Amino acid sequence: MANPSEDVFPYDYKVETLDNGLKVILVPMSSSKGLVSYYSIVRTGSRDEYEPGHSGFAHFFEHMMFRGTKKYPGSVYDKLITEMGADGNAYTTDDYTAYHLSFATEDLEKIIELESDRFQNLSYKKPEFQTEAGAVYGEYRKNVTNPWMVMFEKLQETAFDKHTYRHTTMGFVEDIKAMPTMYEYSLSFFDRYYRPENVVLLISGDIDEKSTMDMINKYYGGWEKGYVTPQIPEEPPQTGPRMASVKYEGKSLPLLFVAYKGDDFDPSDKEAMAGLLLGDLAFGSNSDLYKKLVLEEQKVQMFGEEFGVNRDPGLWMIYSMIKKTEDVAYVQEEIASTVQQFQEAPVDAKKLENLKKRRKYDFLMNLDTPDKVGGNLARIVAVTGGIEAVDKMFATIAEITPADIQAAAKKYLDVNRRTTITLEGRK
Amino acid sequence: MKRNYTSPLTALIAGILLLTACSTNQEDKVLLPVKDDPTISFSILFKTGAQNDPAGKEGLGYLTASILAEGATQNNSYDEILEALYPMAASYGMSYDKEMTVIYGRTHKDNLDAYYQLFMDAILRPAFDEKDFNRLKSRTINYLENNLRYSSDEELGKAALYDFIYNGTQYGHLNAGTVQSLNSITLDDVKDYYKTHFSRNNYLIGLGGGYDDALVDKVEGDLQTLPAAEVSMPPVPEPETIEGLNVLLVEKDCDATAISFGFPIEVLRGDEDFFALALFNSWFGEHRNSASHLFQVIREKRGLNYGDYSYIEIFPNGGMRQMPAPNNARRQQLFEVWIRPVQHVHRHFALRAAMRELKQVVDNGMTMEDFELTQKFLQKYALHYATTTMARVGYALDSRFYGIQGDYIELFRRKIGELTHEQVNAAIKKHLQYENIKIAMVTQGAEEFKQQLVEDVPSPISYETPKPEEVTEEDKAISTFPLPIQEESVRIIPVEDMFESPDYM
Repeated sequence: MANPSEDVFPYDYKVETLDNGLKVILVPMSSSKGLVSYYSIVRTGSRDEYEPGHSGFAHFFEHMMFRGTKKYPGSVYDKLITEMGADGNAYTTDDYTAYHLSFATEDLEKIIELESDRFQNLSYKKPEFQTEAGAVYGEYRKNVTNPWMVMFEKLQETAFDKHTYRHTTMGFVEDIKAMPTMYEYSLSFFDRYYRPENVVLLISGDIDEKSTMDMINKYYGGWEKGYVTPQIPEEPPQTGPRMASVKYEGKSLPLLFVAYKGDDFDPSDKEAMAGLLLGDLAFGSNSDLYKKLVLEEQKVQMFGEEFGVNRDPGLWMIYSMIKKTEDVAYVQEEIASTVQQFQEAPVDAKKLENLKKRRKYDFLMNLDTPDKVGGNLARIVAVTGGIEAVDKMFATIAEITPADIQAAAKKYLDVNRRTTITLEGRK
Repeated sequence: MKRNYTSPLTALIAGILLLTACSTNQEDKVLLPVKDDPTISFSILFKTGAQNDPAGKEGLGYLTASILAEGATQNNSYDEILEALYPMAASYGMSYDKEMTVIYGRTHKDNLDAYYQLFMDAILRPAFDEKDFNRLKSRTINYLENNLRYSSDEELGKAALYDFIYNGTQYGHLNAGTVQSLNSITLDDVKDYYKTHFSRNNYLIGLGGGYDDALVDKVEGDLQTLPAAEVSMPPVPEPETIEGLNVLLVEKDCDATAISFGFPIEVLRGDEDFFALALFNSWFGEHRNSASHLFQVIREKRGLNYGDYSYIEIFPNGGMRQMPAPNNARRQQLFEVWIRPVQHVHRHFALRAAMRELKQVVDNGMTMEDFELTQKFLQKYALHYATTTMARVGYALDSRFYGIQGDYIELFRRKIGELTHEQVNAAIKKHLQYENIKIAMVTQGAEEFKQQLVEDVPSPISYETPKPEEVTEEDKAISTFPLPIQEESVRIIPVEDMFESPDYM
């Protein structure tokens, strides 16, 4: 276990779990001057949409959560939030759904009452459900005009055969179109996933621990257990490189995604943590390849990497927008040769140390408001179910050596784990 | 001796400001210690900005600040600076407006020594490297010639409105200058501007977070090594009186029409009526807030665009920011309405809809219900204006400018809470109007639109999906809402002429 004095997370926090399984993380911040951030993190995202024909439901359900309850219908909820001058929204990802609000400390009890009410007593009729389903299809049509969205769809369905990461958070278009017919299913979705054992409250800012916990117990204590674990199929190992290309109807510069099957997020797994750093070292904004393609040769308009944190092994990807079609193959070769270089030789020790420092300070510098604490911790809390993983992750990262990075490059950047997608738009 | 930052300004705007100069002896600094903040925020404000640009050299102050923030120092090349900042995950930058230039930055305490050296080098020991100068000059020209003219119609529309209103005054050019004036600026101009404006008589220190007293002394001592120079304060801009509805159409090959309109107002932050207007404005068009009235009328009910907002203080980068940025304090402000791009076919209707709402609230005032709801909302929403120490330091520096004492956000919340319905409606009547307005629109087919405007032709609207009767009834009134516009009050400027030279307008 890490020495507490070496812990990176700068605030004293408190974690309590109610009898019904609801986990509550409180992060009092004396500098937050009357503001509180309130994250309700549901550990359900598009990953959990394992039943055929129901992709996109986690995101759709996020919309339904604003329809209100018998006690506080949607319009009343909106008016109360406005009166409080609260700033709030929600979003859905592959691994979780988050509902967040930022508001004045004096309104904490009212917020707890409102949020606990809609998580327990959401109520909507079939016509409202159908209207909202239509709106989600509208959102899809808006997004599908975006070439990046088209790329993600193609990448995920090419890279995965069985696992639910095969579809995007938006869902397959035929499933989205069919949503208005799924009223009954939506009730069961709420019943199975919006349960205390599957939710974490992350409350930070100008709060008093004891009185906050008293209110949480009062309003959430009666919430009944009932989470049903989804049967998510395991992805069989990939056996060879995959490739696909997309013709895009709109105008776009050529796009290239090179993605590898990564690992699930385990903060004590040195190899997996080395994988996260590897993406940044080889393809990040301070990498040799970035400087070459973007700054010196200027052949590439946009270049970056996303070696992310996922609950199950997800994709670690390198993305680029290339100025000329004839350079797409060149960029692919450059990526391949960088991969080879990282597999053949250990990375410069100074570069690794600089990146470790940067990761740490980047994290610390971005915890200065309650909302940023909530926003920056939400994914790790959702994926691991707690906050302890933060310090564990930094402790593991501190021990990573150039040899570990090399080993991670050999393991994860294996050609048999690779999927390449290209997009060509109308000129 | 250092000049008191507040008093000369206060003298110039006497009678407008509520409070007078700061009474403490800490006249060259604003300190916001936060005991357990592991970071330190620096903001060094120089009382110089676009209004100080010499004629023909518009953009000089902007380029100089850019070189300080993104150029080599006598100790490091710019690449070396970036390399050194990388492990700290820290950076520094500049914020620049008509009346002030701020070099700001933030670091974790662990890295203070190394960071401080880099940050102070940038202010005290710039190298004025020729390569940096050429890179930043060409980037700034490119920003005007390409970005602003061709890739952000929203920002273009707003910039056009500001030049339209402030033409002929010291505020009458963009902060970045014009293409021709930038081209005429030499590295020697920049060096000279630095020597005469970044002087030890002309700064205000802002420090926040987990610093100790020794750091305050060090910053003060180091800044005292700057050269001495008195910087003269240009007069308060006096924009020309607007008579009737004046229209500027920027002709451009574009998919949608961006609309901005407004007029100068005599109210500044800190003035008693400022808070009443702030409450009105929050109801009428709080930036990026879907509860506000214009948003409801134009986007929510009719789906004509992405958003519709209003302002009583300048709000730069509205497309990128959710909350207002500090350090744009000015001695002259404007009331502004920003209609995000609408389809060309809806441009006349959208303009009418917004102007009609303005007329209604000026004539009738806010309802008691709207007043009460907005008062509750704004008292708390204002907490989001400055959530970080850096933003609070920025606000505190602005308070010095306006002669406001104490924590501005606290003052704002208290003042909003004390307002009465009558005060707000009286302030609306006193400071706002709908007859003398400048309107800037970026659009395609400007000549045709000009004719429609001048003839005040009706602009009926139809929708893809059916709307409630209440909406279609109101549409009839909007589509024939009179906008008296004289032919000689409409100007058309091709986009390629925008920002070309100091006298393009």
